[in-house]
Amino acid sequence: MAYIEFKDIDKFYGKNHVLRGINLEIEQGDFVTLLGPSGCGKSTLLRCLAGLEQTSGGKIILDGEDITQKDPKDRNIGMVFQQYSLFPNMTVKENLAFGLKLQKLPANEIEKRVKDSIEMVELMGKENEYPSNLSGGQQQRVALARGIVMRPKVLLLDEPLSAIDAKLRKSLQTSIREIHKELGLTSVFVTHDQDEAMVMSDVIHLFHDGIIEQSGNPVNIYTKPATPFAAGFIGNYNILNRADMKKLTGKDWDGDIAIRPETLILSREQISSGESYKMQGEILDRVPRGNVLRYKVRTNGVEVYVDVLFRSASMYEIGDTAFMALADHNCVRL
Amino acid sequence: MQKKKNIGAKIIVIVVIAYLLLPLLMTLIYSLFKEWIDVVPTGFTFAAYAELLADPAFWQSVLRTVIISVIPIALCTVFVLLAMYVVVLYHPEWDRFMQVLCTIPYAIQGVILPICVLSLYTGAPEPLNNRMVMLVATYMVVILPYVYQGIRNNIAGVGAGRLIEAAQMLGASKLYAFFRVVIPNIMSGVTVSVMLAMAIVFGDFVIINTLAGGHFMTAQMYMYDVMKKSGQRTCAVIIILFVVTLLISGFAFVLQSKQGKKKTK
Repeated sequence: MAYIEFKDIDKFYGKNHVLRGINLEIEQGDFVTLLGPSGCGKSTLLRCLAGLEQTSGGKIILDGEDITQKDPKDRNIGMVFQQYSLFPNMTVKENLAFGLKLQKLPANEIEKRVKDSIEMVELMGKENEYPSNLSGGQQQRVALARGIVMRPKVLLLDEPLSAIDAKLRKSLQTSIREIHKELGLTSVFVTHDQDEAMVMSDVIHLFHDGIIEQSGNPVNIYTKPATPFAAGFIGNYNILNRADMKKLTGKDWDGDIAIRPETLILSREQISSGESYKMQGEILDRVPRGNVLRYKVRTNGVEVYVDVLFRSASMYEIGDTAFMALADHNCVRL
Repeated sequence: MQKKKNIGAKIIVIVVIAYLLLPLLMTLIYSLFKEWIDVVPTGFTFAAYAELLADPAFWQSVLRTVIISVIPIALCTVFVLLAMYVVVLYHPEWDRFMQVLCTIPYAIQGVILPICVLSLYTGAPEPLNNRMVMLVATYMVVILPYVYQGIRNNIAGVGAGRLIEAAQMLGASKLYAFFRVVIPNIMSGVTVSVMLAMAIVFGDFVIINTLAGGHFMTAQMYMYDVMKKSGQRTCAVIIILFVVTLLISGFAFVLQSKQGKKKTK
């Protein structure tokens, strides 16, 4: 039996069917990500698990207990919000102690747990600061500490890093992952950022339009997208129909095919290796993306994206001709 | 260039302050001198203040004014907070109706409201026909827009919904979260609204005169009485009322700034 079970979850906002019969199981100790674009229902499902939204149908089971109708305060679930939601009139210490005091724990136990949590998020020395005196990253660390200080059964993270700059986000991703492992938590993370999902998750559930489009570990999701939506959302796949695939490879194909941009080989010389399909194309555009250069190439009337490592000495100019090759196993049938 | 701009801004501020303080200053001078026939007033005296401060009727009227201000303001603030609790947590869609409803008193002219209240409730059973109940209720209606708007803006500003959800996830009930987390964070806004309401009630003469008449001597009524007898004493009453209001406001703002300092320490 899974630790968390969603059984046939439906959610309506008026006539808007936001969650359509979601069935999902989460194992204890997993770091699970609900990934998808805005409005796909991922945050709504998270809020249903938290008890902040009531489901319109279905059941939620946590640790063998039906919690569907329980109040948020009775679920023993911790949550980190996108906007931190720290209490402005309380210091860091008071924010962390808030829930513990409600549980009427002894003062020394509260003190110890607060101290441990502050150390865990590396905010020593900031105990008596008010949230307004902390940076965004520090505030999110406090929110994280407040989420774990209660020792919840499950930690929910609702896009907690989306308001934080890229560099700090990476460091917080690592912190969250480390804390999850150290405490043996079961965590459910919501994000629309596929890179973040890849870095952090044991399991990813890809949401689209109120349903789960695909579930699996990050490698599976990335290398074997099951639907055109999954291919389009994860990894910036080239999605080609049968006609375009025929033009590209010269053979007949069944249905749509997804090709990852980095699996296409680009060369100035004729490619003589054993790749299945070889072609010649013209460089139409070039966009640097960190350590990768993304080329837009037209070959046999079909435009595809090709990612290559950013080596300034071997860059193609727009209008250059290049040879391309593609292996058959990199053509994923959708 | 920047320096010139600063000087210009300072001059404007000084002119505005002088413009606002001048009537008060003239009232103060007038209350401290016996005669003002020539350019310079003559006969400096505290006699008007001494007489007033020694008159128990004056202190009773001030006390009544304070009470008649505090009760409707406190009741109105509590009711608006409770209404906002329901609106924020359970029926956000009611907010626009609340806004319309709470804006209506703006449109009612000062003299119309007490006359309507009198004609509606004079024949009503106790305690509705009690003049003091009528007065408190009428003041609650008058100050409603100011109290509501101040509280509403502050609740929206602190993100009350988010704070309550965060508190719920830590084991708090909605009600506890509202009073323990949201209200302490909107206290500065509530204080400003209360001060504004206090100023309105303190400055009222029409409503209290219509509803309470000579039966209930407030500071305003006392001042009206004194006005018929002595201009100098009237000025002294105005100055004392101003000082009382200033003290109440000052006290509230000190509390508020202490809270603010704590947050940004």
